[in-house]
Amino acid sequence: MLRPRVIVCLDVKDGRVVKGTQFKDLRDVGDPVALARRYEAEGADEIVYLDVSASKEDRGTLLDVVRRTAETLFIPLTVGGGVRSSDDIGPLLRAGADKISVNSAAVSNPELLSVGAERFGSQCIVASIDAAHEGDVFRCYTHGGSRATELDAVAWAEECVERGAGEILLTSIDRDGARTGYRLDLTRAVADAVTVPVIASGGAGEAAHLRDAFLEGHASAALVAGILHDGLTTVGALKHDLSAWGIDVRPSSGNGSAMGTDLAGGGAL
Amino acid sequence: MTERPRNDGGDADLTLRVALFDYGAGNLHSLAKALDAAGASVTVTSDWSEALAADALVLPGVGAFGQAAAALPDDRGPIRTALEEGLPCLGICLGMQLFFDRSDESDGHGIGLVAGEVLHVEADVVPHMGWNDVETEDDPLFDGIDGLVAYYANSYVCAPDDDGPIIARSTYGAGTFAAGVRRTNAWGVQFHPEKSSHQGRRIIGNFVREATRIATSARPGTRR
Repeated sequence: MLRPRVIVCLDVKDGRVVKGTQFKDLRDVGDPVALARRYEAEGADEIVYLDVSASKEDRGTLLDVVRRTAETLFIPLTVGGGVRSSDDIGPLLRAGADKISVNSAAVSNPELLSVGAERFGSQCIVASIDAAHEGDVFRCYTHGGSRATELDAVAWAEECVERGAGEILLTSIDRDGARTGYRLDLTRAVADAVTVPVIASGGAGEAAHLRDAFLEGHASAALVAGILHDGLTTVGALKHDLSAWGIDVRPSSGNGSAMGTDLAGGGAL
Repeated sequence: MTERPRNDGGDADLTLRVALFDYGAGNLHSLAKALDAAGASVTVTSDWSEALAADALVLPGVGAFGQAAAALPDDRGPIRTALEEGLPCLGICLGMQLFFDRSDESDGHGIGLVAGEVLHVEADVVPHMGWNDVETEDDPLFDGIDGLVAYYANSYVCAPDDDGPIIARSTYGAGTFAAGVRRTNAWGVQFHPEKSSHQGRRIIGNFVREATRIATSARPGTRR
């Protein structure tokens, strides 16, 4: 049985986890390596780092964070943000990322997906799509939701998969940060149209929203960020509720943190 | 690499020398660290003679079949012989698939240690991505693990000609497939133990423990 996944997203800038609204008013909330490990111990199924650094010079810092994370994290790590060409993918994978998510650069250069999948395998290429509801369709946006494109989200998702993307990270701009639930019509439209797993993103406010993303949105995974970082809930509490409703998430395990502790001496913290 | 303290209360002071084979792509950090934390001394190498001279060999799970097959020496004989004669080996995902001769994924030949082939996953959603239940048989690799749920990221699975080598099974899409195989001391797992949190690390620890036991009994032996 394949378990629906709960994925935790951390926004990383200059080597630190930051939190803000719409990429503004960013505040430092901690060390990504320590936070990622904590979320693994709580039962997170995967971690996503979204690099929100403004400049290209910060890439070295990001690679260092990825390297230090991979040495102590034993669940999959996806890294996104600022991937401009296929040459950016290799260094991130070698540094320790398991998957790379690509957004704006794939829109301006769809070949990036084909080349990335050919060179590194579909399983490590994630197409990240930001979409907003307009009339009868969902329009894709790039550059952190600031630039509209001519692309329809469902059609673009299908093209991404055709080109080799092994997973779709689908964010509803309408719901991002709203905590009123995932945009289920968007999630379901894309999940039903493609043959790869879809990660629902944008809008998680409580466990019931994750349940709806799996059952009604047909998502394979749900991305959670703000409500965890703000301490409103924990991965363990979300999974507890989901299990109680009959959603077969991977159990959060008590000895995960114990195993993490014995590694601390060998880690880079 | 530096000497590491032993991982358990074994009866010999042998630090297992593990060769982690690098086909030239992907993330080896987590796997190297998990082996290291289990008490092994890890060398990452792309040199087969160096790899076969170690106490144990690990074939990681990153890349494509054809590309990894191209990284095998033209003569598969020495690798197959070493594994048939008991060199401890852990093949992960693609590394397990290399135990077989051929794959749907691409041209090229694997090691041919296990009879069978590698087939495309039959399911509505491919890759098979995420955490899946694994039914394990009684094998030292799974010591201390109850109710394994492991992380998968693959579009191809192994189909041995007969059930003999199968030590674990998972069900996804159209059917049940070999989640783990074993021949002599070569273990293959289709999932990623290095990404399967504490249960996966337990499996890597079990491998290091078993390989250490085997290497200890072989030393001083003819193999080295």
